[in-house]
Amino acid sequence: MKRRFANVSGMAMAVALTALLAMPAAAVDKVRIGAIYPLTGPAGSTGAELKDAITLAADIVNGKYDLDLPLARTQGLPNLKGAQVEVIFGDHQGKPDVGQAEAERMITTEKVVALMGAYHSSVTTTASIAAERHKVPFLNPESTDPKLTERGFRYFFRTTPFDDQFAENFFQFLNDVKKQKGAKISSVATVYENTNFGTGVNNAIRKNAAKYGYRLVADVAYAEKGTSAIAEVQKVKAAAPDVVMPASYTADAILYMKTFKDLNYAPQAILAMDAGYISDEFKKTLGKDGEYVLSREVWALDLAKKKPMIAKVNEIYKKRFGRDMNGNSARSFTGFLVLADAINRAGSTDPEKIREALEKYTLGGNMMIMPWDGVAFDPKTHQNTKGRGIIVQLVSGEWYTVWPFDLASRDVVWPMPAWGKR
Amino acid sequence: MASGVAAGSGFLYARNGALLAAALAYPFLFRQSFPQDLAIKIFLFGGLASAWNVLGGFAGQVSLGNAIFFGVGAYAAAVVQTQWGWTPWAGMLLGMAASAGIGALIGYPCFRLKGHYFAMATLAIGEVISTLFMNWQWVGGAVGVYIPLRDDTWKYFQFGTTKLPYYYVMLAFLVSALLLSAALLRSRMGYYFRAIREDQDAARSLGVPARRYKLAAMGISAALTSAGGSLYAQYVLFIDPHSVFPMMLSIQVVLIAILGGVGTLWGPVVGAMVLIPLSEFTRIYIGGTGSGLDLIAYGLLIIVISVIQPRGVLGFFRKAGAA
Repeated sequence: MKRRFANVSGMAMAVALTALLAMPAAAVDKVRIGAIYPLTGPAGSTGAELKDAITLAADIVNGKYDLDLPLARTQGLPNLKGAQVEVIFGDHQGKPDVGQAEAERMITTEKVVALMGAYHSSVTTTASIAAERHKVPFLNPESTDPKLTERGFRYFFRTTPFDDQFAENFFQFLNDVKKQKGAKISSVATVYENTNFGTGVNNAIRKNAAKYGYRLVADVAYAEKGTSAIAEVQKVKAAAPDVVMPASYTADAILYMKTFKDLNYAPQAILAMDAGYISDEFKKTLGKDGEYVLSREVWALDLAKKKPMIAKVNEIYKKRFGRDMNGNSARSFTGFLVLADAINRAGSTDPEKIREALEKYTLGGNMMIMPWDGVAFDPKTHQNTKGRGIIVQLVSGEWYTVWPFDLASRDVVWPMPAWGKR
Repeated sequence: MASGVAAGSGFLYARNGALLAAALAYPFLFRQSFPQDLAIKIFLFGGLASAWNVLGGFAGQVSLGNAIFFGVGAYAAAVVQTQWGWTPWAGMLLGMAASAGIGALIGYPCFRLKGHYFAMATLAIGEVISTLFMNWQWVGGAVGVYIPLRDDTWKYFQFGTTKLPYYYVMLAFLVSALLLSAALLRSRMGYYFRAIREDQDAARSLGVPARRYKLAAMGISAALTSAGGSLYAQYVLFIDPHSVFPMMLSIQVVLIAILGGVGTLWGPVVGAMVLIPLSEFTRIYIGGTGSGLDLIAYGLLIIVISVIQPRGVLGFFRKAGAA
C-alpha cells in the first residue's frame, strides 16, 4: 500500500512536469531577434548595460529619430512593410552550455530570425555552434577571441575588432607617431601576465611587429599578482626597447608602474593593452605616477568632439538608463543596428537571405557611433575588416583619445617625460 | 532505510519498465529542442549526482571536488580528438581510467581526514586542478579546447540538429549509473560502504578494510562522473577550465543528491527532476529581466524543501505513504 501511494504521486509529478513543458506558441507579426547575454551572474551588471543599449537600438529602428544611424529616420523595417523588430532577451549566466541551450530555444521555440550575443567569448563559441547547425545568422558585437572567426562558420559574423586588430593598431599608431612627431621608434618589448589574455596579446604583438618591421627585443612573461616586478622590469630595461607594451590586470599594472618609477626607467612610451591600466583603481592609486600611459580602447565618450552624434545618442541613453554608454554598450548598440539593417536589406525574414545580406553588407564609418572605418565582412572569416580600436592617454587624471589622429580630442604627449622631470 | 530495489517485487519491475518506456518515448512526444535539452540535462545531472551518491551517500564521504573528474572526462574526450584524431569514445574510457586513478591519488592521503576535513580537502584540490589545467598549454590552457564541427557521426559523436542520439546516450548514462548503484546496494561492497558511513571505527573493528573500500567508492564515483564529463564535452563542443571545473558543479551535484534523498537509489534522479527544471524554468521565465529574481526563486525553493523535508524529496513520499 505504502509503495503504491509513492508511485501514484510520482506519476502525478511527472504529469505536472510535462504540462509545464507545453510552451505557448509565439505570434510572428514582428521580426524577432534573439539576444543572449549574461543578465545574471558575475558579469550581470555588464549584461544589463548591453541589454539597455540593445533596447535603445531597437527603439531607434522602430521609431523615428533624427540621427545618422541605419533605420533611424524610418519607422520599422521599410523593406518589410515597416515591420517592427522585437528583441527576445535570454540569460546565459556566463555559462557556455546555458548559452547554447538558450540559442537553440530561441531558434526552435521563440522562432527568432537571427541571434546576437554573447559578450563572453566562451559562450559566443557554443551559442554560435547552435546557430550554425540550425542555419540561423549569429552576429557577435563584443567578443574578441581570434578563434571565433578562424572557425570559418557560414552563419557567424563579428562586428567588433578582435585582439589581432588591436595589436595591429599599436604599430599603425607607432608609424603615425613617427611621421607626425619625427620620433625614432624601431624596437618594442612586451611584458605580460602568463594566462589566456597576456599570452594571446603577446602572440598578436609578435606577429604584427614582424609584419610592420619592428624588432621585438624582449618578451617577458610573469605570473599574476606577484609581490615584486624588479627582475622583470630590469630584463626589459636591459633590452632598451623604444616602447614597452604591457598586458596586465589591475594589481600588476599598478605594481609595474611603481617599479618603472623606482628603477627610474622611462622608455619613449608605455603602450598598454587595456585591462588593468585602464581601470579606475590604476588612476586613483598612482595619481601623477600613472600619467602619460597610453592604452588601447574600443570606444570613448570624448570621441564626440569629432563625431557629435555620439553625444546625442549618449544623451538619450543616459536620460533613459541613468548612466553613460561605454565601450561594451556602444558595440552592442552598433551590432544590433547592423543586424537589423541587414535584415531590412535582405527584405526577408528567411535566415538564408539574411546571411547573404550580411555577407554583402557594407556601412560607412559616418553612420555609426564607433571609431571604425565602417562595416564590411571578410568573405571567408566574416570578421569586420573595417573595425579598429583607439588609443587613449592619461593626462591630468583624464583619459583622452589621441589616435586615430582624425578622431583625437588631444595631441599625444610623446615621448613620456622622464621621471625626474614631472 | 529500505531501498526500492531491495524489495524486488514484480510490481517494482513493472514500474521501472514503465518509467524506462516513458523515457524512451519522451522525445517523440516532445520534439522541440528545449524540452529535449531539459531531459538531457536531467539525465546528465541525475547520473552525476548518482555517481556522487556512491561516495557521499553510500560510503558517507562527502566530496566537494567531483568537478575534478567531470573536467578530466571532458578534457579526455576533447583532447584525444584535437591532438590525436581519436574517437571521443576512446577518450571517454581513458578519462574514466585517469579519473579513477586521480581519485585514488586524492583519496589515499585525504581519507585520513574525516567529515568536514575531507570535504574541505576535496574542495581545495578541485581548485588546484582547475588552475593546473588553466596553465597547461598542451590542453589549450585558459583558452580551452574547440572540438571541430563535423557532419552527423557516431564515431565522433556529433549530431547537428537532432538531439535524439544525445538524448538516448545520456539516458543510457543515467540508467548505467542507477544499475550500478542498485547492484552496489545489494552487494557485500554496498554493505561495507554503509557500515563505514554509519561508524567507521566500529566497521573497522568488525574487520571491514575501511581505507580500501573508501578508495573503491572514490574510484567508482570518479569514473562515472568522468563519463558524464566526456558526454557533456561532446554535447557543447567547447570546453575550458571555467566551464568544466567550476566549484559550482561540485556543489550542484551534492545539492541534487541531498535534495532528492541522499544515500537512496532514486534520490539523485528525483533531485535532478526537481532542481534542473526549477533552475531552467526560473531562468527562462524570469531570467530575461536581468533582475536575478530567478536565482532568488531557485534558492528559496531549495530552502523550503530542505526545511520541510530534511530527508529530501523522496522523504515526502515515504512519510505520506506511512501515514
